[in-house]
Order: sequence, then structure tokens, then C-alpha cells
Amino acid sequence: MKKSLAIAALLLACQFMGWSQAKKPTIMVVPADAFCERYGYVQQVNTMGETVSSPDYSRAMKENADIRTLVSAMADFMAKNDFPIQSLEQELKRLQTEDAEMAMMTGRSGGEIEETPLERLRRTARADIILDLDYEIHRVGPQKQVSFNLQAIDAYSSKIISGNTGVSSAANVPLTSLLEECVLSFKDNFLSGLQHHFDDLFANGREITITFLRYDNCPFYFDDDIEIDGEDYEFGEWIEEWLQDNTVEGRFTTGASSANRLRFNQVRIPLYAQNRKGRDVAIDADDFVKPLVRELRKKLNVTVGASPRGLGDVWITVGDK
Amino acid sequence: MIALTLLMTFSAVSANAQSKDRRKSFKSWDNYEITTEKVGVDGTKFVKVWGFGRTVDAATMAAKENAVHACIFRGLPGSATAMSTPPICPNPDTLASHEDYFQTFFAAGGPYLAYVSMTTDGVPSGTDRRKVKGGYKVGIYVQVMYDNLKRKLEADGIARKLSSGF
Repeated sequence: MKKSLAIAALLLACQFMGWSQAKKPTIMVVPADAFCERYGYVQQVNTMGETVSSPDYSRAMKENADIRTLVSAMADFMAKNDFPIQSLEQELKRLQTEDAEMAMMTGRSGGEIEETPLERLRRTARADIILDLDYEIHRVGPQKQVSFNLQAIDAYSSKIISGNTGVSSAANVPLTSLLEECVLSFKDNFLSGLQHHFDDLFANGREITITFLRYDNCPFYFDDDIEIDGEDYEFGEWIEEWLQDNTVEGRFTTGASSANRLRFNQVRIPLYAQNRKGRDVAIDADDFVKPLVRELRKKLNVTVGASPRGLGDVWITVGDK
Repeated sequence: MIALTLLMTFSAVSANAQSKDRRKSFKSWDNYEITTEKVGVDGTKFVKVWGFGRTVDAATMAAKENAVHACIFRGLPGSATAMSTPPICPNPDTLASHEDYFQTFFAAGGPYLAYVSMTTDGVPSGTDRRKVKGGYKVGIYVQVMYDNLKRKLEADGIARKLSSGF
């Protein structure tokens, strides 16, 4: 009897632990734009008639052995901390393979996989936390010295979570040794910065961004007065009230407010919420806005769509999906 | 004459108090010197640390204790070629809230010794061994197994893991 009770308690504890785990952010090391520019890993991209240079990560990873050494060293210590990082190189390869496979895929009755241009655009390598890495080699007489700059950036708020700069010792040794020394030098400070960010996340909620966009077939503008529950509200005002009621301690900032666009940033959302069955589940930006989207559809009788852009960014379109 | 006697008495009391304060500060766990010498090999910290004790051996043991104490509670200062290292337990209340644990951890011959190894051979000498009132002050070069120490404290529930909660 005691044994079965103990097993039941253990199972319950396991389930509770399973439910109470927050969604883990993905981390990826990306060579900094300045690094790509300096070493010529750039490609010219024509965007709406204007030619702009953009970093060529694929070439940087293939041709620069030093950056691979740095990424491997960082991947190693992150894995030791139970936080494996995503490989940019593998992610780029996966996307290439995915492209080829999707182009060849046909259903048994001849149907083809549908993909809108936006979906195609969004199918790129992305992570929740970007580790922006830059280093430069200096000559000190016959010796070499490496200066490095590593920033951990929250992809949604563009906030720098942890920044580390420093120099290696000057020595006449292979560059790989100096690069490894750099990683060992900043490792603990960098992890401490990440820990601080995660502690803040657990204490004050996840920081997300919500953007409302208006399709031209929406019957009202965002600065119009509309009737909700028998009262006249400006659309933006009603949304702000909803956020005040549902965010952690009512924390958010209205970043932009116009007739066609509303943007809320620094929106602090709880890490867990109850699903329809009353279970505690980990949530992200998309899950957080689901009740809001349902409420808007019901109260305003318009089509409303939500389009997640990662764990911490969501677009809500009003008037169409 | 009375004034002179009073002045002398006051000076003697003051000197005695200063001496006591100095002895206290030697014995205080918050008063020790530590510097990062260079970037250690993976998972370790290479530091020079000072300790105070009645004998050279006691001072050496105190220095080892101080090295581990710094990694856990104080952090290690940076140098020209090595960045500073943050403490494993940055919360200032950790020591008080886990007092029993750390009493055992830092007991004579306690588990802390498994995370520190001396890199200099023999007894410290020259400027690294100073005779001070009440004992010796010695400076030793040690290698602290920082990552192993961190993992031990995480496993014992003293420090938070980076991935905890996810």
C-alpha cells in the first residue's frame, strides 16, 4: 500500500514538474555584422530596387576555421550547463534541404505544398537569444593578441542580456589557443549574465512584443471609437485595459499607436497559464494572446489572426488573417 | 601630571583597541587578498591567495579555504589578461541561509579541499611568507576547480543551475 502510494506521489510530482517547466529559449551563435564586413563575408542583396550588403553566414562558417573553433568551444560549455545551442551552420543546411524537398513534394493526387511569400520569408534560421560574436587579431611585435566582443541579445526586445569584451594574452602561439583562452576568460561572466536574465524572467515574467496590424477590410481604424460591451472605447484604449488586467503587475509600454498600427513592447507575461482543461501549461507570446484574439472576434465580430514570430513576438492582424 | 597620566592611559587603551581590531581583521573571513594570475585551463581558476594563521601550515590551509570562499561568495577580480569571475552564489544571504552546510563544507579537512590544489611546491618562502604579530601571513598560488565546485553546489541545491525552471 505504502509502495503504491509512493509511486503515485512520484508520478504526480513528475507530472507537476513536467507542466511547470517554462519554454526553453533557443540560443544561436551568429558572427557579428562587423566581423562579416571586415573579412568580406558579405553578399549584395537587391531589396526593392536598392542594393544592400548583407552578412553571408554560410560562407563565414564554411571558410573561417577560427569562428568554428569559437562556436565549438561555446557549444561545449553551454552543453555542460544543460543548455545546448543551435548550430547556425546546421540550421542553414537544414533550410537548404527543406527548400529542395518542399519543391519536390507532391501528394498522391498531385497536390502541392502551399507556402505564402511571408511563410517563405519567415522560414529562416532564427533563435530566441542571439550570441553576436566578434573578434579581431592584433600584432604585438612578433606576438599575436585577440580582442573579442560577445553580446547575448534578446531577439524580440533587442536588449543586450550579457555583454563581454576583453583581450587575450599576447603570445606566439597558434591562434586557436588564443581563441580558446578568450572563451575560457569570458565564459563565467557570460553565464552569469544569462543566469541574471533567466532569474529576471522567472521573477517578472517573459518580456514580449505585441503588434496589431489593420487590414484595409477592417471596418474601423484603431483610433476610432467603437462600442464594446455597451460602452464607447477607442480600440487601442480597450487593448491597453486588457493588457493591464492580464500582464504581470500590469507591465507593458505602448511603443506606437496610430490608425493602422499598435505596438506594445516590454509586455511582461506570466510563464505559465491554465489551458482550457484547467491544466497549468508553459506559455509563450502566441499562447498569451489567444484569449485576446478570441475575445476580439466575439466582441467585434471581425476576423482576427495571430501570427507568432518566435517565443516573444506576435503580430495580431485585424480585418483578415 | 594628572593630564599626562590620563593621556598615556588613553593612548594605551587606544593602541590596544587598534591591535585587537587589526587581529580581528586578520581573522575575518571577509578580509583576504586574492588576484587572478591568468586564465586557467578549462573549468579551473588560477589565483594567488593570502591566508593568515598561527603557523605557516595553518596560514596555508586558511589561504586554500579563502580561495574556495572567494569562488563561492566573493568572485575573483580580473587582471590585465583575465576577466573577472562572478561568484557561484551571488545572493548575499546564501551563507546565512545554509550555515550548517557550509560549516561542514569548510570544516578542517572538509569537502572544500577537493576543489583546490596548490601549484607551488613546498612551504611558501620569501615575500610570500610574512611574519606578523600572532602568526604568519602567506601567499600561495592555487588552482581552483571552479566548474566542479559549481556543479557540486548545484547538485546540493545551494546554487541555481542555468537550466533550472526550463
